[in-house]
Amino acid sequence: MAKKEFYVSYVEGSLGTKTKVTLKRFVWICLGFTIAGAFLFSFFQKPFKNSTFELTNTTNITGTFHQSPYPMLRVKVAEGTYKNIVLLGFGKSSANPYLDNLLAQEKDLHGKILSISGNLIYYNGKTLLQITDAEKVKLEDQNGKVPKKEFLGEMVFEGEIIDPKCYFGVMKPGFGKIHRSCAVRCISGGIPPVLATTDKNSIAEYYLLTDLQGKPINDEVLSFIGKPSEIKGIVDKLEDWYILKIDPKNILILNKNSSIY
Amino acid sequence: MALDYKLVIWNSFKKQYDKIIAVSMLLYIVVFAIVTFTFNPESSIETLIIRAFGSLAIVMLHIILAIGPLSRLNDQFLPILYNRRHLGVSMFFAALVHGGFSMFQFHALGDVHPIYSLFASNMDYNSLINFPFQVLGFLALLILFAMAATSHDFFLANLSARVWKRLHMLVYVAYVLIIAHVFLGTFQQETSPFTIGFLILGFITISGLHLAAAFKERKTDSNKTEEDEGWIKVCTVDEIENDRAKVFKLANDRVAIFKYDGKLAAIHNVCKHQGGPLGEGKIIDGCVTCPWHGYQYLPNNGQSPPPYTEKVATYQLRLKDAIIYINPNALEEGTEVEPVYF
Repeated sequence: MAKKEFYVSYVEGSLGTKTKVTLKRFVWICLGFTIAGAFLFSFFQKPFKNSTFELTNTTNITGTFHQSPYPMLRVKVAEGTYKNIVLLGFGKSSANPYLDNLLAQEKDLHGKILSISGNLIYYNGKTLLQITDAEKVKLEDQNGKVPKKEFLGEMVFEGEIIDPKCYFGVMKPGFGKIHRSCAVRCISGGIPPVLATTDKNSIAEYYLLTDLQGKPINDEVLSFIGKPSEIKGIVDKLEDWYILKIDPKNILILNKNSSIY
Repeated sequence: MALDYKLVIWNSFKKQYDKIIAVSMLLYIVVFAIVTFTFNPESSIETLIIRAFGSLAIVMLHIILAIGPLSRLNDQFLPILYNRRHLGVSMFFAALVHGGFSMFQFHALGDVHPIYSLFASNMDYNSLINFPFQVLGFLALLILFAMAATSHDFFLANLSARVWKRLHMLVYVAYVLIIAHVFLGTFQQETSPFTIGFLILGFITISGLHLAAAFKERKTDSNKTEEDEGWIKVCTVDEIENDRAKVFKLANDRVAIFKYDGKLAAIHNVCKHQGGPLGEGKIIDGCVTCPWHGYQYLPNNGQSPPPYTEKVATYQLRLKDAIIYINPNALEEGTEVEPVYF
């Protein structure tokens, strides 16, 4: 009978020839399994969007501050063309606490020109700015023009409620089930909820959500975030943004995959 | 075997083993990063880290779970089992990077404590599709932490082998939680038949290996015995190899009968260190040597040779016409028994 090999860790040379061959084969198989796993799990990821978060770059922008109802800065980008940049706080928070210092000086900032340094977030024509320090928000000595709202009427949309900070650049992916908890935290922290929709021609549009009185709505929509939904509301156009006034009771969760994927 | 506790008692085999683990982990991350940035250049570093380390931990967990049954099916795999704890701790660190980054990304810098946020952000506990899958991953990470933190022999000795083994059997609970975490989480959004198939194939392989190992053990347990006036007739002397043992199941205990130097002796089959099968061991320098980590016991009294203090139960044997009989009543651990000469 062939002598059976028996390995003992503290006995030098006890690792037999046949055992060595088996171990080598096992290592190669595991290595193959590992590389196959790395390839499959990386290759079969859904494409990420070309959204951008300039985490390490600080940009200074100047524009007219308005709360409609979320803090925004109206910035001139060309003659007669304006962009409304949504202002956000650091982390998962609203920009409002960063304006408290100025509000102590000026009772109302609506229509005032502010100069703010922060990190830009942008995707698909929308721009947002993260403020990380209240000291970087400066009040200029002028007043500006705030955008006018244009009433468009009652409409029904299919889409997904997202937090714009993550969706437009901070996280990839910034939507869907994987991201739901984070979006709940962001919107709970004061970041405005946005309905992201895609029409039949894959054209995306975004709607800042408010209550029926046009006031900020946050906690009321938390349970609908990241779920494909049908939402009915009244639409106002605010230059490059739409505002959708809704009653959260009218949000209908759809049992289907989201078209914004 | 060691009397005092050191962080790691290094030897050349362990060093080589750990180098292979480190190189493989690095290779995984590099391949994952290259493929991601080649085919999906808009990925972010944070997402890359979360996904690369999470999937690496799953791949490693499959290898870890395969080692146990492979060693039971073929003892040439035992050297891998010998150092499996290093692989387990490495896997925990990969899972920790995944969990830590996810926790920070998704739950930190918010209006509530991140741990509270983890459990309360998504309250759809009554829905399978919308289930808060991150909670499952977090619970699995807690189990892996408990296992990694107690993986040292200090805890093994102080918790007792039975408690330690039970704690470490929770790896199967962690595996189920992780599979559920992936299927109810990322696979709900990142659905690919290849990645889903990879995990299904992994589950089938792990289950198949465990079933095959259990079937083999059942065959050992069915070694025929026959009662004769309170003694159990087990086998003939020729059926046992020199310096080796044959295992029999008596009531609820497995007993190993060793043949060595013209003698026969029987001891309880379970090693006091990690519950290794002593009956699959060998007599080396006159001692029963456990196949898992080399713990030793004297066959005539079940005691580890001084200065070690481990003890296992011994059994009385009787020989009649080259047939071995065993008294099924275990003697107290470490009891001296006169070996039977043949």
